[in-house]
Amino acid sequence: MGIKKKDVLLAGSLLLAACLLFFVLRPKGDGGQIRITVDGKLYGTYALSGEEKIRIEQESGVNVIHIRDGAVWMEEADCPDGYCIRQGKMERRGQAIICLPHKLVVEVIGQEENENGEALDVVVQ
Amino acid sequence: MKKDFYVIALVCGTILAACFFCGCFGKEGELLVLEDSEASLEFFAMDTYMRVVAYGREDQANAAVSAAREEIYRLEKLLSTELETSEIYQVNAHGKGELSTDALSLLQRAVQLSEMTEGAFDFTVYPLMRAWGFMDGQYRVPSPSEILGLLGKTKVSGVLVDEEQGYVEFEADGMQIDLGGIAKGYAAARIMDIYREKGIANGLVSLGGNVQVLGTKPDGNLWRIGLQHPDGGKEYLGVLQAMDLAVVTSGGYERYFEQDGERYHHILDPSTGYPAESGLLSATVVSADGTLADGLSTAIFVMGKERAVAFWREHIAEFDMILYTQEEELYVTQGIVGDFSSSLLFEIISEEP
Ligand SMILES: [Zn+2]
Repeated sequence: MGIKKKDVLLAGSLLLAACLLFFVLRPKGDGGQIRITVDGKLYGTYALSGEEKIRIEQESGVNVIHIRDGAVWMEEADCPDGYCIRQGKMERRGQAIICLPHKLVVEVIGQEENENGEALDVVVQ
Repeated sequence: MKKDFYVIALVCGTILAACFFCGCFGKEGELLVLEDSEASLEFFAMDTYMRVVAYGREDQANAAVSAAREEIYRLEKLLSTELETSEIYQVNAHGKGELSTDALSLLQRAVQLSEMTEGAFDFTVYPLMRAWGFMDGQYRVPSPSEILGLLGKTKVSGVLVDEEQGYVEFEADGMQIDLGGIAKGYAAARIMDIYREKGIANGLVSLGGNVQVLGTKPDGNLWRIGLQHPDGGKEYLGVLQAMDLAVVTSGGYERYFEQDGERYHHILDPSTGYPAESGLLSATVVSADGTLADGLSTAIFVMGKERAVAFWREHIAEFDMILYTQEEELYVTQGIVGDFSSSLLFEIISEEP
């Protein structure tokens, strides 16, 4: 038996239903995640929605990263320039706090949306 | 009977298909494009944090980002002011020396940019940068007489370039140059060429404040580039949609030190030797030319709004800009207005005064 009209109809409705379900089930942007890397190596991934203080001690020095209320910031750092502390609170995908002297990067990743509801690819900062 | 079968098949199929579609989401919740794989590398170089991304066939994309990183390391070795083996270090140490083709052409580019901006871009400001401690983090406010003395060594006209011999010599003792003001922009532009050579049509680099994009996103949409607000993380100045463009921001809001209640940021005005007080908090330059965008962002910041607008009107075909002032006013030049959106009010700078 060849392909019947009914089969085509079935396939079509399946696809349509799948699309609908996909929109219902798709992961929601709940504030995204924080990725911390030290000298290019992954240190850890954390939920931006939680509350956490992460203390990272290296030979080069200490950083304390604080996650709360959907934002992340560098709370303490003993790097000579202190730029990482001044970068303030980050909460949007694509943003990053960088401590150059300690080669430490705190990035906001995940499905974070901006005011227009569309994600950013990169942030110039 | 048959009808029941269709209903069951429909339900099961739907669930399966939905799971399949949802499975297409990466752990970051993004839709992964099946035809194009993404390759990216993150690393520290040129005193900043860098990220290079390429989309394409997996092997090509991987090769492209590796080559991009190699190119940055190569340029860093050539242009570093701190690495004893670099050509620039040697020229600075001896007041003269030979330059290879790459370093020479970048130096000539720097000279052009300085002339174009009537000195607002100045790569001979390096001795002053050192005196202020911006190179090593040993911050201090130099005395007025020290600044005056160093201003005498801050002059692009004192850099004598012999193009044919590949040779450079400084007119005065103690003069030093730093091509760091365009090195990242040049690197970004070079990477776009490397991507093309490697068969990559879509990519993005972010080299510490220098962003450059190749083509569109793999899905054909324009890249969405957020501009950091000088006040910090929560808000953006705006979002620029772009293809085949470089976007570079200069601002004094991150790198600064405080002494006796005064704030001193790292962008020096080459005409005074002090941190530029032009009334701007940030200057963003948008151009197809990454090197130009890099050099101009600093120059525009030094110029301030009024001079920058006059300058832009003379160079409309070459770049666009987004300015944010101390009075919290946002200005955007006409050429990119259609691709710029912001939750802040902004004024459009048009070609006609
Ligand atoms: Zn730091």
